[in-house]
Amino acid sequence: MRSTPPWITRTGFTLAAMAAAYRVGLAAALAAWPVLLGRAIFYGVCLMVLIAFWDKVGAQRLAGTLAVRLPPGGLGVYVGVTEWITLSVPAIQLRLEDDIRSGALEPHLLRPKPYLTQTIAGEAGGMSARLAMLAVAGLLLLTISGRPWPAGFGLAYVTVLGVIGATIGVLLYTLVGLTAFWLRRVLPALLIMQKLMFLLGGLFAPISFYPGWLHDIAAASPFAAHLAFAGQAVIAPSWAAFAGALGAQALWFCALCLAIALIWRAGLAKLMREG
Amino acid sequence: MNVLTTYAAQSLAAVRTSFADRTNFALQVAGMAVNNGFWLVLWFLFFAGFRQVGGWRLGDVARMLGIIYTLFGLSTVFFGGYRDMAGAILRGEVDPLLTQPKPVLLRLLARESVPSAWGDLGTGVAILIFGARLDLGGAGLVIAAIAIGMTAWISTSVIFASLAFWFAGARSLSRDLMDFTLMVSTYPASIYSGWAKIVAFTVLPAGFVAMAPVGLVRNPSWPAAAFAIAGAAGYGALALMVFHLGLRRYRRGATPGS
Repeated sequence: MRSTPPWITRTGFTLAAMAAAYRVGLAAALAAWPVLLGRAIFYGVCLMVLIAFWDKVGAQRLAGTLAVRLPPGGLGVYVGVTEWITLSVPAIQLRLEDDIRSGALEPHLLRPKPYLTQTIAGEAGGMSARLAMLAVAGLLLLTISGRPWPAGFGLAYVTVLGVIGATIGVLLYTLVGLTAFWLRRVLPALLIMQKLMFLLGGLFAPISFYPGWLHDIAAASPFAAHLAFAGQAVIAPSWAAFAGALGAQALWFCALCLAIALIWRAGLAKLMREG
Repeated sequence: MNVLTTYAAQSLAAVRTSFADRTNFALQVAGMAVNNGFWLVLWFLFFAGFRQVGGWRLGDVARMLGIIYTLFGLSTVFFGGYRDMAGAILRGEVDPLLTQPKPVLLRLLARESVPSAWGDLGTGVAILIFGARLDLGGAGLVIAAIAIGMTAWISTSVIFASLAFWFAGARSLSRDLMDFTLMVSTYPASIYSGWAKIVAFTVLPAGFVAMAPVGLVRNPSWPAAAFAIAGAAGYGALALMVFHLGLRRYRRGATPGS
């Protein structure tokens, strides 16, 4: 009888522990339902402002401007999707910052379960609750507004790309949090990351509206995988675009995981060396 | 020492404390400046493609952002205690101030200065100097608009923070309400109509923090000035009333956590 290689057993244990952390995170987020409700209200306020903004732009349709390229129903649903993802991603960087700065990380390093994967899994659990809550709120607002629903498989594409996009968001914020090994506060890194999400992720305007060179940079960045692809799926849903977006998301997911692993090791080495 | 001297001394001490870790201070200021610069670039890209929104052009938005960043920067550098005043109330940090002769509200406002706010202040002033094309009269109006907006913003924040005298969950709620108000403030006033406009002048008074003061700079008139000043003064009076009602409750021990 062949025994299972130890690395498979170890990976199995880690995945089981991550699943448990995910369940705990999900349960904790659901238990704090007033916070979820507050987030849904925030989502509503964001949509109120941004939809009012784009409706105003669309209503004018100035000749010779990009306004003529706005979709007939406006950008309401696009904004709803990108904000849905943005507001669902938990502030994992704050937890990492707190633990790294306060020294709360050290006791975790003595435990058999890896701290970082456990933290990411727990936050992903909370994110799932937010994704579900905000999806319900978004669909409710869409129904009340009387705006057209995404055509064809648009909604299905958005669901898949949105959930993976939010997961990529967690990884991006994890990178921000890990800068706490070198920076006292992660705020500067966070601000830069957020603005890159705005610009290259298409949170402010669809990247298809950008000049060619900027569009290419944005589309090739992880920020498009985080936000823009899911948003584009409601503007022009197609199987080919969906498949391409899925491929890019898979690529960025792997690349970000690798980057996190490397930075984590470098950060831990610094912590061991300098305290 | 009179009240203002005490406030100035405490506020300057808070500012000096925020300078203490110089690397952290520089990083936070630079991060905020880059953040604000990005936001301006986004607007630049937007107007390159869409030219205007409801009659507002890039210059109008730049002036609006310059005013908002400056008033937010000044408020958060010199009255930075408002940011976590709800937390301070819930943690019982008002107790030692009650035994002292100086006004509690000013002491709470002056207890903290946020380093990143210098980034807002720097960006705001830079935009106003280099991007707003102001003459002397325009500069006077901008200073008035900043003073009016600051009064409305700090008053609004005090009202939100004072909810902590009544509700245990007011810390995150007040932060959220401040964020909502800031968000509504940073878009051109021309996009709001109907219910959105009513909300912007009442529950989340971005109307008095940004829209009315910026409107005064865009189209100066005595009625516009009276409206902006009356709004800020009204919110100031409301903030004092709500805070002191709450403080009375706190003294009775009826506040959550007190």
